[in-house]
Amino acid sequence: MNYAMALDYQNCINCKACETACKEENGVQLGANKQRIWVGIVEGSIFDKSFINLYPSQCNHCETAPCVSVCPTNASYVAAGGIVQVDYKKCILCKGCMEACPYDARFVDDTKVAVDKCTFCDHRIEEYGTTACQTTCPTNVRMFGDLDDDNSDLVKLLKKKRFFFLKEKSNTRPKLFYIVPDSENYARQSISHETKIYTWDEYLEKYRGVRG
Amino acid sequence: MEKFTIAGLEINKASFKDMFLNKIMLLSYVLIAFAIYGIYEIYELRYFTKVASTHSMSLDPFNPELKEALKSAIFGNVGEVSREVPWTLFISNYMYMIYTGSGIIFLVALAELLNFKIVEKLAASFMVAGLAMVFAGLFTIATDLNMLNMKWMFLDPNTNAGMWLMLPLYLTYIPFVLFEIYLILTNKRELARKLAFPILILSIGVDLVEYYIQAKLFSMNTARHLWTEFPGLMWYFIISAFVSSLGVMGILSYLVHRNKKGYKELMSLIRKSMLFFLYLLAIYEVVGYLVIDKDWAFIILFGEFRVLFFGGYILFALVLPFLLLVKPDRSYIIPASISVIIGGYIGRYLFVYGGNANPLTNRFGVGYEKYDFYSLTTNFNYVSPHLGEIFIVVGSVGVAIFIFKLVDTLFSITKQRDVH
Repeated sequence: MNYAMALDYQNCINCKACETACKEENGVQLGANKQRIWVGIVEGSIFDKSFINLYPSQCNHCETAPCVSVCPTNASYVAAGGIVQVDYKKCILCKGCMEACPYDARFVDDTKVAVDKCTFCDHRIEEYGTTACQTTCPTNVRMFGDLDDDNSDLVKLLKKKRFFFLKEKSNTRPKLFYIVPDSENYARQSISHETKIYTWDEYLEKYRGVRG
Repeated sequence: MEKFTIAGLEINKASFKDMFLNKIMLLSYVLIAFAIYGIYEIYELRYFTKVASTHSMSLDPFNPELKEALKSAIFGNVGEVSREVPWTLFISNYMYMIYTGSGIIFLVALAELLNFKIVEKLAASFMVAGLAMVFAGLFTIATDLNMLNMKWMFLDPNTNAGMWLMLPLYLTYIPFVLFEIYLILTNKRELARKLAFPILILSIGVDLVEYYIQAKLFSMNTARHLWTEFPGLMWYFIISAFVSSLGVMGILSYLVHRNKKGYKELMSLIRKSMLFFLYLLAIYEVVGYLVIDKDWAFIILFGEFRVLFFGGYILFALVLPFLLLVKPDRSYIIPASISVIIGGYIGRYLFVYGGNANPLTNRFGVGYEKYDFYSLTTNFNYVSPHLGEIFIVVGSVGVAIFIFKLVDTLFSITKQRDVH
């Protein structure tokens, strides 16, 4: 098992249903800065034409997670299925993991007096096979699944689409696959020129050492 | 004063009043009182304030405290720790106290090794001052951490993490320095002579390991490029700490050694050493800011931190002390010492806050994101320290003074000792 998620962010309408579902499902502390998942917003203009990019975001469940290596008590650890988890009772609140995460994906949940983050709704996987955010999304932005299963909907989607990762240079091997938008204009305004775009075969070759 | 001896160590038979009710102790109590209030405020926020979640709201929707918590969740920032700036004044003060204290111990050990007699004669006072600062730093960080879960540092340690490595180091380092102070105080010349050299070499080694581990801790936070790209972070810590350490030694010498024989020689030595490390620090700063990530360098050199950097750090830690010390006039050493202590502190503050100043939200490389529909995009992160945090920092100075004065009352550490 190697759980991951694809985000077809061109479909995001910023309805915040995913944020709300996450808070409901996991009892996350309320507050705009206390989010396990969130929709990041970039506003700007190109040649006086204004635009808005919506980026649904959460923990990248990195394969080489810096938050795990920096944790002095193993409170941050990699659980079954490659899910990066926090054992709240072990967290000493050193906040090293928050400093180490390049994606701003961690915060202190004051109900737990510990650092918290997305868990891929691990308690739901067995029963429902997916996360609360995916279930709630009205425009099918999210696709959760097992990267090791060729027949999973996730892998089927990734085989059809091109995708990219965030801050790849940090060598964290993230597992959020952002799908390149179908609209060329939207792709151009929402992805930097330095970002490397992958096909499934290219990804397998680079990250799994498998030649197509 | 009457004395009694334990294991060759002469201990003054001081009364309770002598030990705890003198002017300096009263000053330390006033400062520690600030810390106690600060701890109360922080702990109240951390452990006893109601927090709103969908679960708690649905279980107890009419709870007035929860209603308040919900209001602040909607209209303000909730909680003690901000997501953007997790490390704050606690870490700045911890770093300052630990590095400066260790720096004093390092420099005294080095001076003993190099046979500077005047430093040897007063070594006990300097080493206790250094150790008191280390304890003050540990006091600060202890209030920042969730101590209720600290047992997991031992029960399930991640031995590769920089922070865990500090624990065994402190368990070696503190007894080690205490033993060194014991040898100085007991005047066990025979044993001291045999052990002096290896002990001094080891103490320098332990100090270097301390600096290395601290640097490793910051280097593990790869996302913050100010910290990870500083060239030879350990050397930056060492050089900048030594400048502050010499400032503390200058002030301490003035306060407790100014009537002793050899004071002039001591201050002259402090002046020369401070000038030397000022040169090194100036060179380092120029090189350092040429190589770090441009986003971070821009914020500090030309952005929101520029006034604090040039008007605070550069002025007080480098320019002013240099101008005061460049002429061999002893009367300027005290102002220069005060200046480097202030400048060094601002430097630590800038280092910690600067590391978090550039938001990590430019994740897609097309601009900074905002996480809340109604907020404004920011290209600069800064969160002012809590009042409680500031009080704890003020109190940590009281902790250092308390330890120093208590040890002095019991062991007369400020007395000049004979060196053969």
